[in-house]
Amino acid sequence: MTLSARCRNRVSCLRAMAAIVVACAALRPDAARCQATPAQLSAITGAISSRVDAMTILGGDFALAGGSYRFDGRSDTEMDVSKFGGAGDVGDPRKLGDLDIAWQPRLQGSMGFVDSTTAIRAGPLKGGTSRFRTFSIQFGGGARFWLTDHLSLAPTLTGMYGHTSNEYLPTQADRPAGLDWASQMGLIGWNENTWTVRSALNIQYVLTVDRTIVTLSLDPIYFHSVSFSSSNANVSVHGDSVALADTIDVDVPLGRQLYGHELRTGGYLARTDFFGDLKQGLDTQHLYEAHGRLVLDFLHQFWKVQWMGIGGSYLWGTHATGWTVGADVLFRF
Amino acid sequence: MPILSAALALGGCWTAPTAKLRAKGAPRLIQDAVAVESVKNPVIVQSVDAGTRTVVVLNPADLAPTIYKAGARVFNLDRIRAGDRVRATVAEQLTVLVLQDGRLPAADGRIGPIEANAKVLMVDPSYRLLTLRYPDGTTETFKVGLDVRLRQMEPGDDVVVRAVEAVALQVQGR
Repeated sequence: MTLSARCRNRVSCLRAMAAIVVACAALRPDAARCQATPAQLSAITGAISSRVDAMTILGGDFALAGGSYRFDGRSDTEMDVSKFGGAGDVGDPRKLGDLDIAWQPRLQGSMGFVDSTTAIRAGPLKGGTSRFRTFSIQFGGGARFWLTDHLSLAPTLTGMYGHTSNEYLPTQADRPAGLDWASQMGLIGWNENTWTVRSALNIQYVLTVDRTIVTLSLDPIYFHSVSFSSSNANVSVHGDSVALADTIDVDVPLGRQLYGHELRTGGYLARTDFFGDLKQGLDTQHLYEAHGRLVLDFLHQFWKVQWMGIGGSYLWGTHATGWTVGADVLFRF
Repeated sequence: MPILSAALALGGCWTAPTAKLRAKGAPRLIQDAVAVESVKNPVIVQSVDAGTRTVVVLNPADLAPTIYKAGARVFNLDRIRAGDRVRATVAEQLTVLVLQDGRLPAADGRIGPIEANAKVLMVDPSYRLLTLRYPDGTTETFKVGLDVRLRQMEPGDDVVVRAVEAVALQVQGR
């Protein structure tokens, strides 16, 4: 089993709340007459739903890249994401019946915390900050089927729990006049519990060239999220999202040892396309990640650790750039 | 889907690791004196000779005892007594070769019999792992040095495993 555990200290993000901010700005500023049309309210709650869905997935799913993002969009949102998790295949491949196919159990899990703030620059809540905090955790598994010595398919099913809360932080001494109304409408001051079902298929092709291992993988992932409790009846999550990740990973032994362990380098280039609520909630269509690492080989030398070292990524995509640096640890069970 | 089809067509079928393959090519020595360390199953100490630094142990599954020369790294030899249950880490040397009917032509042209006591099961040149299968069906994986010519080794190659010395004796009880 290989299990990647990449600890990312801090992830910052700008934007992603654009839809909510724009919708809030459309409301009348006069508190006494602060009203929204059903269409406006629907747009806001829809944006919040997408936002909660996206934050839950971004924070809790092991397959989505963390990083320090900067978006050049319309809103002023910052987001800190800390996550820990990975996926891996357990043991050596074993023959499946009389078929020329082998299989391995596959386990995957992750947990993460997202802290996001958005400065509201228009509408009745102007001047304040809306803060979202999401904790999410996922666990699941499946099996990897080796069709050839190089090609394998791994269908998996994973469950994810998410808890998201929102609060409004006024920067001025006086409470905005529309605060109670906004709270009642579910624009601010709520908390939400969701569950998500994640079904995915990992298609992987592994090739060894000399001593270098090249891994090509394709991961279509489907998420379905639903609220199961909410502090405000106007806030409800019912989302469907798809992420499609293409990755090429290169693992290169350097032939030199440090403290009895061989140095290895490499990295991966990935492109992830977003669809549905994930695309709306993150306000981005796709994200590229170029990752580099420098690690020491511990395989068969220290417990189940395959390598330990440092890694870093540069991310870019629709309206977005970002980076991440952290420990890079891979396990093989 | 076209990529998947192409990969299937190029890759053939999945093949299970096997050491029952016949070694390929002419009989030859691939590499001698491949240094590895093997952690053995717990054994019972029969006797200890501090003067010659030798320990006689018996694996309950074996009929004959095994004699280990305790290396300089064994610091607790004076505390080991007969009857102790110890787990030995043993420095071994592997000779990997291709035999023909159990024989290998020597440098002088004569054919010498060689008693191989393991077969290569798997080779991972990237992470320098060499997995052997012993006649009793058990397998063992070694991390080998950078100088080992793993790319010349294949499943089915013959291996002579020779114990050099015990490098650690961990007492696990009596």
